[in-house]
Amino acid sequence: MNPMIIPKAALDDWVRLLRSSYRVVAPRPLHGQHVFGEVGSASEFDLGYPTSVLPPKKYLFPAREDLLKFRTDAQQVEATIDGPRTVVLGVHTCDMHAMQLLDRVMATGYSDQHYLAHRNKTTLVSVECLKPCTAGSFCKSMGTLSTPEVFDLHLTDLGDAYAAEVGSDRGAALLPGLKAARPFADKDTARLNRVMSEKWPRFPLRLEFDVTELPSLLSTSYDSELWKELGERCLACAMCTNVCPTCYCFNVMDEVDLTLKSGKRLREWDSCQLDKFATVAGGHNFRTARAARQRHRFFRKGKYQTDAFGLLGCVGCGRCAEACLVHITPVDTFNELYRRQHQPAAATPQGG
Amino acid sequence: MSAKPKIAFYEFTSCEGCQLTVVDSLQLYPELLEAVDIVRFREAMSEMGDDYAIAFIEGSCSRPSDEAPIKAIREKAALVVALGACAHLGGINTIRNRHDLGEVRRFVYGDKAEWYDTYPARPISAVIKVDAAIPGCPIDRHEFVRTVKRLLQGRAPELPDHPLCVECKLKENVCLYLRGTTCLGPIVRAGCDAICPTYGDSCEGCRGLVPNPNIEHLKEVLTEHGLSVDQTLAKMTQFLTYQVMEMEAAGHGDPQPAH
Ligand code: SF4
Ligand code: SF4
Ligand code: SF4
Ligand code: SF4
Ligand code: SF4
Repeated sequence: MNPMIIPKAALDDWVRLLRSSYRVVAPRPLHGQHVFGEVGSASEFDLGYPTSVLPPKKYLFPAREDLLKFRTDAQQVEATIDGPRTVVLGVHTCDMHAMQLLDRVMATGYSDQHYLAHRNKTTLVSVECLKPCTAGSFCKSMGTLSTPEVFDLHLTDLGDAYAAEVGSDRGAALLPGLKAARPFADKDTARLNRVMSEKWPRFPLRLEFDVTELPSLLSTSYDSELWKELGERCLACAMCTNVCPTCYCFNVMDEVDLTLKSGKRLREWDSCQLDKFATVAGGHNFRTARAARQRHRFFRKGKYQTDAFGLLGCVGCGRCAEACLVHITPVDTFNELYRRQHQPAAATPQGG
Repeated sequence: MSAKPKIAFYEFTSCEGCQLTVVDSLQLYPELLEAVDIVRFREAMSEMGDDYAIAFIEGSCSRPSDEAPIKAIREKAALVVALGACAHLGGINTIRNRHDLGEVRRFVYGDKAEWYDTYPARPISAVIKVDAAIPGCPIDRHEFVRTVKRLLQGRAPELPDHPLCVECKLKENVCLYLRGTTCLGPIVRAGCDAICPTYGDSCEGCRGLVPNPNIEHLKEVLTEHGLSVDQTLAKMTQFLTYQVMEMEAAGHGDPQPAH
């Protein structure tokens, strides 16, 4: 399907139209930041937002989610798989790459029924980033500044209108009924090309080496002193992993009613940065030191995911860098590892 | 479970706000009254039984004369639960522990200072063994009910041992540090659903420290965000005095900020 033009003046009509068939969520301003939430009109959200506190991953993999209900007296178990049909408006391309990774992870081996059910009911409308979102972001270095194939509809801001590229039937289904939408004309193609060529120079390359070297850089950095230095500073607050679009660890727990006869099983996001994360039955904790946990986190982001799923575990969104109160960031960490390997004599402690 | 377990509530140095929250919990979950038999509860009834299996103790031990009644409760109860920050951590009563007690007494009681036998305030666990604690100033209603449920199931109640920031981020609050203020969240035990940051107030630590707090580096963060040495110390003192002084005594956690 050829790209379409959606005039910005029609955004409000579009949202109202979508709301007759879907829950519509988009980045809403909150205390100087943005948070994805349900919207009823175009005035409630901002598609030019820098970044969101939590990634839109939360619609596919909620922070807290019921898994099943049970009765202990009647030996009954019933899965809770539910959720509204949702359109997520304004997913940045880095977050799209993260969802591509989650799609693979959640469908591989034991497939995650809850994730897949949400995924099937969700239409992703991505949006092209035209300038860097935050000082912590480094998408260009990670190769995530263009959307991967998994989008349903992809928007690019042309000033007074959006160029809308259709990526799937689900995406195409969002447009009929919007009278103001029209097919691309030649002048639109020229406008889109200009916007796209102007955007790239605005983004800095922040890694001091090519990202394809990252997995091997980590392989040879397992015993680096840097992990100890990070471990000393780290507060083990888990903000870095809780805001990360590619993290997917969770904890499962049961809650019983006061009758003690029925209850539910639920899951909640968990984090490798927390003290108890690696505690196994019997009480042994195989990752007590914060240094070991930091190393684990960065290995997950820069190597393990690539080994297992062929995609990088860090998409360069910069959320963890913005959240960390002691300024531990992927860019500084990866660059420092690189420097220590390549100019060992000149190595300096990572700046704070 | 055959007979309903009998439970009793006791109070030492406290404001009784946690017991009021228990009243609130009972209104929220009236089923609770069918699961237990309350034999002593000053906030809600006048009869006083002293045959009980589970004792909830509110308040800190702040006088030598508190010790005997606290020990008597331990003798009788199969399970003792510390209820709220005063019982769990010594609470705000421990602020005085860093000052000269004679001066504190004169400040509070004026010319009657000599009448009172106060000493440094302590959590109940410093006097007797407690089986569980429900943190908070005041306690969280839902956590109270969760704890009772676990006790009824014969399981030890478990407190979350991760920091408040986890709950705060899962609720997608904008971090107070990004809103120009400070917060003790990274070193404080979660479980209140980050209620203070959710309403825009910094966490003051009423639930106590996480098991392995990185106090030293949080102090650097507080300094970087404009807190003076005195302000940082004051922040660490409101609810955390007893725990921090214990860490100091054990040789960890220098009370002075890193700079
Ligand atoms: S956000 Fe920073 S301080 Fe908190 S766990 Fe992550 S690296 Fe450590
Ligand atoms: S590690 Fe940090 S920068 Fe990378 S994807 Fe996660 S939150 Fe974004
Ligand atoms: S990291 Fe890059 S792709 Fe992601 S939101 Fe920021 S600018 Fe966009
Ligand atoms: S507001 Fe406080 S509890 Fe919330 S994330 Fe920030 S430091 Fe942590
Ligand atoms: S946010 Fe902090 S001060 Fe407020 S209730 Fe929770 S632990 Fe207590």
